[in-house]
Amino acid sequence: MDILGLLRFYILYPSFFVTVIFPGLVFTLLLLLVTIWFERKAAARVQMRIGPYYASKRLGGILQLVADAVKFVFSEIIIPNEVNPTLYALAPVLMVIASFLPIAVIPLSVIPPSGSVFSIYFKDFYDPDINAGVIAGLFVNYNLLLVLAIESVYPIFVVLLAWSTNNRFAVVGAVRETYLSVSYDVILLMSTLAMALEYHTLDIAKIVSYGIPGIVANPLAAFLFFVAMLMGSSRFPFDISEAETELVIGPYTEYSGFLFVLTMAGSYVGNFIYALVFADVFLWGWYPLSGFPGLVLTVLKAVIVLFFATFMRSVYARYRVDQALRGSWKYLLPLAFASLILGMVVGYVWIR
Amino acid sequence: MDKVKEYKKANPFKLFGDHVQAIGTGIKYFVRPQRITLKYPEEALSLPSGYRGLIRLYKDVCIGCTLCAMVCPADAMKMVTQEGKKLPTINYGRCVFCGFCVDICPVDALKETGVHDAAFTNRRDLVFYPDKFNKSYDEPPTERVVKKVKAVVDEKRGIKYVPDE
Ligand code: SF4
Ligand code: SF4
Repeated sequence: MDILGLLRFYILYPSFFVTVIFPGLVFTLLLLLVTIWFERKAAARVQMRIGPYYASKRLGGILQLVADAVKFVFSEIIIPNEVNPTLYALAPVLMVIASFLPIAVIPLSVIPPSGSVFSIYFKDFYDPDINAGVIAGLFVNYNLLLVLAIESVYPIFVVLLAWSTNNRFAVVGAVRETYLSVSYDVILLMSTLAMALEYHTLDIAKIVSYGIPGIVANPLAAFLFFVAMLMGSSRFPFDISEAETELVIGPYTEYSGFLFVLTMAGSYVGNFIYALVFADVFLWGWYPLSGFPGLVLTVLKAVIVLFFATFMRSVYARYRVDQALRGSWKYLLPLAFASLILGMVVGYVWIR
Repeated sequence: MDKVKEYKKANPFKLFGDHVQAIGTGIKYFVRPQRITLKYPEEALSLPSGYRGLIRLYKDVCIGCTLCAMVCPADAMKMVTQEGKKLPTINYGRCVFCGFCVDICPVDALKETGVHDAAFTNRRDLVFYPDKFNKSYDEPPTERVVKKVKAVVDEKRGIKYVPDE
């Protein structure tokens, strides 16, 4: 094999390609800028404003975000006096890692035995359940469970981060995050459990290859997952832990410069991961395509879900923490039980 | 003890309907935005003639009585001595455009102009010493074309801008 072929082999190797290039680090970074731009623009459109504009009139002001990013990256990182500097600097990094890690195990497309650029890896990423290869950083049979398990570590790092900054706004924000994470994790897990029961599997690839989109099979679970996703990544109306008008920016109050970018990226990346799972489980993922086009299709759906989630900013005000808790325990939890039962019934009757 | 009623009883289906309606409204505005932002340096609102603007001084008329500096509630007006004569100087970083100085001047040496673009590139430029203060800057800068608009009440949108000639 010549050098170019070798290079191509390693670059396209799913463990590298998915986690680093698309939809991994490089793509996520770009997506982050575009998402924040979209969030500001969409909110401005709905609220009779214009949004970022003068930085690049032709591109609708998207360079404003690049300018902001550059400003943040080069601004001074201020470390408060009475904190442990190691923990202070490490906490945001750990948080972003925890929210980004699940991308390694989400199946994003299938590899046909031949005819695709990924076909050479067919054997290495073979999934016996669906009799095809799977494009994922690492293929595991129980990936649905693993994704949620890793992603649910994220709030713990938010608490660690707030605690290590020794700031009262941060601690109040972290307490709110704890309250919320208890309530949304339950809903999130129960709605995915409903899907697992319905499709008799914990493998996302198998759920997609059944050929019935989850949103048709169990709309309740789809709705619950979406709401829990909004809570989990503190999107409006559940940006209770960051509540700018009450808590400065909640757990991230003390951060500045590049570390602040990381803290902000954490929730967006988490939202993107949830959106990828949502696109796979409920929106049919890559079906009916496969290989690279399938990968693009999955990511496209996830991006649309992500944009819709950020669009909520323009519509909603913020819930109080007790309202959000009451809503999730009083209305959403019974609904989650209902979706479980619906999942069992449909799984027994329709999806064999 | 009276039982505290914390929440109104709400019909969850109606709540859900309300949320759907709210998002629907958001999407409606997203697809068909009704912006009312004025792109200021390119478009400007034409203001009514009585709208208080920057203040100018007639140096030759001023008798140096210091009343304007005394009355100024924001400490924007200060007196300086130039060639043995006391003259007011104004700091637009502090001025609140109350117009008291214009009212109190016994010889009408101060005048409100129709210029409202009090934007400067640095803070030193905010202070107008008597020589600069004495100039007539009644004419707004004209090297760039500014589209003058005026606001009219609109049935559907609340407010809209029409070109003003
Ligand atoms: S307009 Fe009012 S605030 Fe401004 S200089 Fe005159 S008195 Fe002072
Ligand atoms: S009140 Fe009028 S006359 Fe007296 S100092 Fe001020 S500008 Fe001059």
